[in-house]
Amino acid sequence: MNGRDIFKIYAPYGAKWIDWVRPVPFVAIDIYNRKPISNWKDRKVMFINEYDKNTAIFIDLPGIESIELGVALARIGYRPIPVFNGTDEQQGARATTDTYLIESCLINGGEKLKTIFLNDNANPAFLLDSYRINRYRSNESIFDNSWDIYKQDVPSAKYFIKNDITKIIVVTDKIQKDLKKILINYQNEGILIYETDSYTFPQKITLSKSLIERFEKEEL
Amino acid sequence: MKLIKIPEDKYYDYKIKAMFDCYKWDPQFCDNNTLSRYVLVLTKKENEEIISLTEKLDKETRLAEEYLNKNIKIAKNLTLPRKVLEQIPNMQNYDKTQNIRLMRYDFHLSIDNNWVVTEVNSDCPGGFAESSLLPNLARNVINLPQLDFTSFGDKMVEEINKKLNKNGTIMMVHCTCFSDDRQVMQYMGDRLKKEGYRIIYGAADHINFKDKKAYCILDNNQISIDLIFRFTPLEWLIQMKPRRWDGYFNTVTKSCNHPISIYAQSKRFPFVWNDLEKAGISMSTWKKLLPETFEVKKLLLKEGYIYKPVYGRVGERISIKEACKGDEYEKILRDVKKHPQQYLLQKDFKSKAIITNDGNKYHICLGSYTIEGKHAGYYARMSQYPRIDSYAEDIPVLIEK
Repeated sequence: MNGRDIFKIYAPYGAKWIDWVRPVPFVAIDIYNRKPISNWKDRKVMFINEYDKNTAIFIDLPGIESIELGVALARIGYRPIPVFNGTDEQQGARATTDTYLIESCLINGGEKLKTIFLNDNANPAFLLDSYRINRYRSNESIFDNSWDIYKQDVPSAKYFIKNDITKIIVVTDKIQKDLKKILINYQNEGILIYETDSYTFPQKITLSKSLIERFEKEEL
Repeated sequence: MKLIKIPEDKYYDYKIKAMFDCYKWDPQFCDNNTLSRYVLVLTKKENEEIISLTEKLDKETRLAEEYLNKNIKIAKNLTLPRKVLEQIPNMQNYDKTQNIRLMRYDFHLSIDNNWVVTEVNSDCPGGFAESSLLPNLARNVINLPQLDFTSFGDKMVEEINKKLNKNGTIMMVHCTCFSDDRQVMQYMGDRLKKEGYRIIYGAADHINFKDKKAYCILDNNQISIDLIFRFTPLEWLIQMKPRRWDGYFNTVTKSCNHPISIYAQSKRFPFVWNDLEKAGISMSTWKKLLPETFEVKKLLLKEGYIYKPVYGRVGERISIKEACKGDEYEKILRDVKKHPQQYLLQKDFKSKAIITNDGNKYHICLGSYTIEGKHAGYYARMSQYPRIDSYAEDIPVLIEK
């Protein structure tokens, strides 16, 4: 299977939410001839027992874990929607973020997903890489391929509500600044936000802007 | 101009091919699909008209920027960023024969069937793959092989081949954290690699300058550079720390674009036209095509006028009321009040919507490229409201023979 075939498994014709699947890592699978990873773990979903028709999920864990958990969620009815958006470094250069692991792991995920029946209307589980904002460079010769998630990369609150999504569960060790901005928008529009570390039952949270965030230039 | 619909049953495959074969890596913006379900077709006459106007505009713009580069007092009226103004003395060695000048002019059709030009993307125009590969894909999908198009990529390669030795090294300078910047660079880089050039992808701060020559400092890629192909806007470049960006302004390494592009990138460009005309540089095509533009002296939004940011790039913060979402219009007015110097007032021309066979209406922005003064293809976007912003859809352009 090439990157295009794997993309089609995550974004099959006619399924809902697939417009948000980012092609970037799938294109890279072909450019860099990526192979599957050897240490894939079949995970179990521990934080919820069953599919809820009013819930969408954001998984913000290290890339491989996100994909593994996304596939596990597919087994209970959620559609994994990879929104990874990092590009690969210049050949030979060191990079701040390991995009190749995600590209490789998406191949494993695709193979697994192919065998799982998913309803075309299945609710989404957006997959993020919590290492995306690693932008520390020990020296200037390193390629910075870190990336942020922006509100334009995911559905709007209005779209979620129109599609009966009233609750979002965020699976993460820590809600990062870029995702927080998006979640605050959702919260302001009336969507309930829950957080879990992936092992414990999700807890309802209320997010608020820090003092610095309040003074940031208004986004239009 | 007319819009031809891509058959419904072919659209999914078309989109997949656009992503995987045509570098369309950003097919969604918020809830909007940004790859149009239509193809834009220009008549032969429209195409010839736009080419002629584009090349006239380009001639005026290039003469203007060379004059402004030598006349700092007049250039000051553009309210360029202070750090750029300080660099003007360093740009005096600018040699147009050594660099490649790339621009894109945004054309719109008004309700009285006249062409209006709203701006020139003078510094870092994008959309290369959309204007080079997408038309061919669309032409095959709608099965109209008789329609033609100009590939921007082919034109750019022709120009680079004229100025560079084929074993030369080209650095594709972009914001490496943004995949939508990389897609522009990756298309051009892959196309140039086929010609035999060595291609390096890196950020603006991966270039250092020694004796005015650029060299790459990326790990395992430390090599001198023969062409800087820059997609990092100058307003961002000058924020870089540590400060090494001065070298971009006086380098003898060939550039596309050289920072001389900043003069026309400022939307205050029309405010120096009278001075230019006094110096004998005609701006008549610009005057004919650009809507009347004024400085924002105080918050007096006249009927039929809109606010535009001086350094806007993708249609953001333009106060076209019917195109603003939620409380965006009020937010723009608040921002104008806080930072009037960052905006200008422009007459709101009435854009003519194209009506499709299935009854949809779309406003079109037809970007017309020039490379070294010659037309070099189209990049078009369309929107259901009369503002072409980030929510707009990319649409391939084909031409009747």
